[in-house]
Amino acid sequence: MKNAPDTEFSRRKFIEGSGAAIVAAKATSVTAQERAEESGHQTAVEDVPRTPITLTVNGSERRIEAEDRWTLAELLRDHLGLTGTRIGCNRGECGACTVLLDGEPAYSCSTLAVWADGRSVQTVEGLEKNGQVTKLQQAFIDYNAPQCGFCTAGQLMSATALLQRNPTPTAQQIREALAGNLCRCSNYNAIVEAVQAAAATGGA
Amino acid sequence: MAVDPMDTIGRNFPRVDAYERVTGKATYTRDIKLPGMLYARILRSTVPHAMIRRIDTSKAEALPGVRAVITHKTHKIVYGSGSISGGRQYSDAHKDITTRLRYTFNEHVRYVGEPVAAVAAVNRHIAEEALQLIEIEYDALPFVLEPENARKPGAPEIWPGGNIAHDSENRQQAIGSRRGNLEAGFAAADQIFEDRYTTQFVQDAQMEPRSALAHWEGEKLILQTPTQGVSNCRHDMARDLGLEDHQVQVICQYMGGGFGDKNGNYYFDLIAAALAKDLGVPVMVELSRKDDWLGTHGRWPTVQDFKVGVKNDGTLTAIQLQALSGMGPYLRRSGNISGMDVYACENTERSILPVHTNRMVSGNFRAPTYPQGYFALQSMLDDVAYKVGVDPVQFALKNMVRPTESIQFTNYALDQCIEQGAELFDWANRWKPVPGSGEGPIKRGAGMAFMMFNARVGASSAILRVNSAGRYTVYVGVTDIGPGAKTTMSLLAAETLGVPLSAVDIVWGDSDRCPYSVGESGSRTTTMTGYAVVEAARDLKRQIAEHGMPTGEDVLVASATPAPTTGNKLREGFGAHFAEVEVDTHLGHVRVTKYLTVHESGRILNPLPANDQIRGAVLQGIGQALHEDLLYDSNNGHPLTSGYYWARHLTHLDAPVIENTFIETDDGFGPYGAKTVGESGIIIAPAAVANAVFNAIGHRMKELPITCAKILEVVA
Repeated sequence: MKNAPDTEFSRRKFIEGSGAAIVAAKATSVTAQERAEESGHQTAVEDVPRTPITLTVNGSERRIEAEDRWTLAELLRDHLGLTGTRIGCNRGECGACTVLLDGEPAYSCSTLAVWADGRSVQTVEGLEKNGQVTKLQQAFIDYNAPQCGFCTAGQLMSATALLQRNPTPTAQQIREALAGNLCRCSNYNAIVEAVQAAAATGGA
Repeated sequence: MAVDPMDTIGRNFPRVDAYERVTGKATYTRDIKLPGMLYARILRSTVPHAMIRRIDTSKAEALPGVRAVITHKTHKIVYGSGSISGGRQYSDAHKDITTRLRYTFNEHVRYVGEPVAAVAAVNRHIAEEALQLIEIEYDALPFVLEPENARKPGAPEIWPGGNIAHDSENRQQAIGSRRGNLEAGFAAADQIFEDRYTTQFVQDAQMEPRSALAHWEGEKLILQTPTQGVSNCRHDMARDLGLEDHQVQVICQYMGGGFGDKNGNYYFDLIAAALAKDLGVPVMVELSRKDDWLGTHGRWPTVQDFKVGVKNDGTLTAIQLQALSGMGPYLRRSGNISGMDVYACENTERSILPVHTNRMVSGNFRAPTYPQGYFALQSMLDDVAYKVGVDPVQFALKNMVRPTESIQFTNYALDQCIEQGAELFDWANRWKPVPGSGEGPIKRGAGMAFMMFNARVGASSAILRVNSAGRYTVYVGVTDIGPGAKTTMSLLAAETLGVPLSAVDIVWGDSDRCPYSVGESGSRTTTMTGYAVVEAARDLKRQIAEHGMPTGEDVLVASATPAPTTGNKLREGFGAHFAEVEVDTHLGHVRVTKYLTVHESGRILNPLPANDQIRGAVLQGIGQALHEDLLYDSNNGHPLTSGYYWARHLTHLDAPVIENTFIETDDGFGPYGAKTVGESGIIIAPAAVANAVFNAIGHRMKELPITCAKILEVVA
C-alpha cells in the first residue's frame, strides 16, 4: 500500500540524485553565520566533511557549504529557515517533508542535501506569489484540508505536482498521487475534495 | 428537532488560522530556535525488563560538543503524569501514597523504549553520536508480554506485589460497575451465550514527533511543548520539579495533532527542563519517530470475556463482562472499558482488571475507553441477534437505552440516529439475512453499530477584552490540536457579542497569558471553555451597554469561570454507523465500500470542521478495525511493528468516502446547545466494520485488527 507512484518516483530520484555533480562554490553568509553561532559554544567541535553546493530554492539561487550528512529537509529547516517543510518520521514513511525537486515530489528527509546540488527545490513557502496563495492553497483553506496541519505542506506539494501534470484528475488519481502522504487526523476525504475543487477552478 | 438559526454560528467558516496552516507559517515546537540552544536526545532501554547494573557515560561526555549526559544516577525526578496521579484533573494526593512511582529515568527498566539517559550537545548529530558511546550493562529479569500471563501466579513481577495495577489507594481491585441482579438475569434468559473478544494496542501516532524546548529565566521555567493542555502541563511540571505553578510558563501555539493523553506533561518535558537548568541555556529535546512510537503511549489492548442472557424474542436479560486491560509497566490511565450503558438491560456487570506487562505504556487515545469496548460488546451482541434470528437494527431498537424515570437525559436522539441511518443507508436492501450468502469470491455484507458519549458541562475560564478601536480579544487556554478550537472560540464570541468574526482576535496556548482551561481532552473544549467564552461575552456586552465602547487607551474586560451542571440528567451525544464491505475471500482483503453515519451532537457550531472531525475519526476507527497493531517478539520482548509503515496506517488509497449527517438539537446546555464532536466518530467504527465483515463472510472475527491472514484462516 506504500508503493504509490509518487513514492516510487521519489525513490528513483533519490538514487539518481546520488550521482549529481558537485560544484565548488564559496562559503556563503549562511554558512558563516552558522559557524559564528557554533563558535559561541565550542571550538572546532568536529571535523565534518562539507561540500559546497549551489541550488535554487523557491526561485533564488543559494550557495551553501553543506555538511555531507545533512538531509535536504535539515538544510531547508535548520540552515535556510524554511521550517514549513515538516519532518514527521525522518525515514521515508509519512511524506510530511515532501518538496518538489526539479518539479517532482521527493521526500526531503530521504534526500541528502548534497544531492540537490545544481537542482531546483520548491517548498511550501514558494507556493505563494506576491502575497497571493495558489488556487490549491485557497481550496485547502475553503475545504478544511488541514486539521492539525502537520502533513499539509507535503499534501500541497504532491498535489501541486499532480495538477501540473494532470489538471483534471479523478478522485482516484488524486488518491494515488497523494498515497505517499499520510494524514493521521485522517482528513483524507477533505484533502481529496480540496484538490478536486482546485482542479475545477483551473489549476494548481 | 431543528434548531433556530443564528447569525454566525451554524455557517461554514474556514479556520481563523487556515492561512498559516497552508503556507508553512504556522510555528510548531521544533521550528523554534533560541540563541545558544542545545539539542538533546534520549537513550532508551533495549531490554524489556532488567536492572541497570552499570552505566558509564564517560566516553559520551568526552565527545567534543557534548554539554551534559544525565541518567538515573544524576537525576531522580518523579514523573507524576506518568501515573494516574498526573495532572490536577486526576488525583494530586495519589503521588504521596503510591508505592509505584515512576521516575524520569528508572534504574529498574520495564519495557523496550524506556528512557535511560539523555545527552545535550551543540547539534543533534553530536547528541545522537554520544548516545552510541554510553555503555550500559543490564541484569536481565524475566519478562511478560500478555496480560493473561502477567496475572498468573509465578509470573515475573514487574512491581513488588504482583502485576495487577494499583488503584488510587494502592488496592489491587477490578474496576467496573454492577447493575441489577446478574443471576436473576441469567435465570430469566431463554438462551445464554459466552465468547471472547480481543483488541490490540493502537498508537496515537500524531504526525508531529514530540519535542520540548525549555529555558529558565532565573527561577522561572519557560517550556514550549506540544501539549493538549497548557494549564495541566504547567501544574504537572511545577509539581514534579517542586515549583509553584506561577514559576512555570507553558506555551503551545501549534501542535501536529493530539489524539489523547497530552493534556499534561511528559518525561521529556522534565528532561528538557533539567538539562536547561543545569546548563543555563535553552535545550530542545527531540524525539525521533521511533522514540515517539515506543516512548509515549497508545490505546490499551484488551481481552474481554462475555456471558449474555437473552430471551427468544431478542430481549437481553443479562450481560456480564470480565476483562483484562494491558497497561504496560506503568499505570498511566484507567484501563477502563465502556459501552454497557448504551443498553437498557437491567442486569449487567463490568469487571475489568488493569494489568502490568513489559510492553510499552498504554494511555488515552481518542475516546480512551470506548472503541475497544464497543467493538467487543457490539460484536458479541450482533452475534446474539443473528443467533436468535433478529435483524441487528431491530435488536438495537429493542435493547438500546431509553429515557426512564431513573435514567434521564437532557435530550435523547438515539432512536432517531438509528432509524434515520438505516433509511439513508438502505439497510433493508444492503444487509443479508443469511450471512456469507453472496455469490462468488468477493463477498459483500453490511453491519451497524450505535453509541452514546458523554457531553458533560463543567468549569473552565475565558477572558474577553475590547479596545477603543472596536477590536475584541478572546483569551483562552486552549491549544488547537486539530479540530479548530481557536475558530470555535472566536465564533462563540462573535455570535454572543453580535460582531463579525473578523473583529475578533484570539490569544491562546500560553499559561501566562491565558486563564485556566480544562485542556483539549475528553471533548470538553467546546462544551466547557466554549461556554466560558459565551458567559464572558455576555458580561462584556452588558458592560458595553452600561458604559459605552471604551475610548482612547481604555479597554473593557470581562472574565468568566462558569461551573454549570445538568443536575441529575445525563448529557450525551448519540450516533449510529452503517458500513458495507467487500471481502475478497481469495486474498483476505477487506474493502469498505460504503460508510454512513448519523450523529446527534447538539447544535453544530461550524459544520465544515465538525463534519471532518467525524469523518477523520471514523477513518481512524477503520484503521483500528483492519490495520493497526503493535506486535512483539515473544522471544526477546522487542516490538516489531513500530512506525506508520509497519503498523499499516491508512493512506489516501485505503480511505473510503464517509457520508455523515448531523441531527441538530438544542438542549439548553453548553454553548447554544453544542455537545461533543471530536471523539464521537471513532467509537463504533471498529464494531460497524467487524459486523459488516461477519455479514459478508458468515464468520465472526473476534480479534482486532481483522487482517487478511485472519480472514483467510476462517474462509479457506
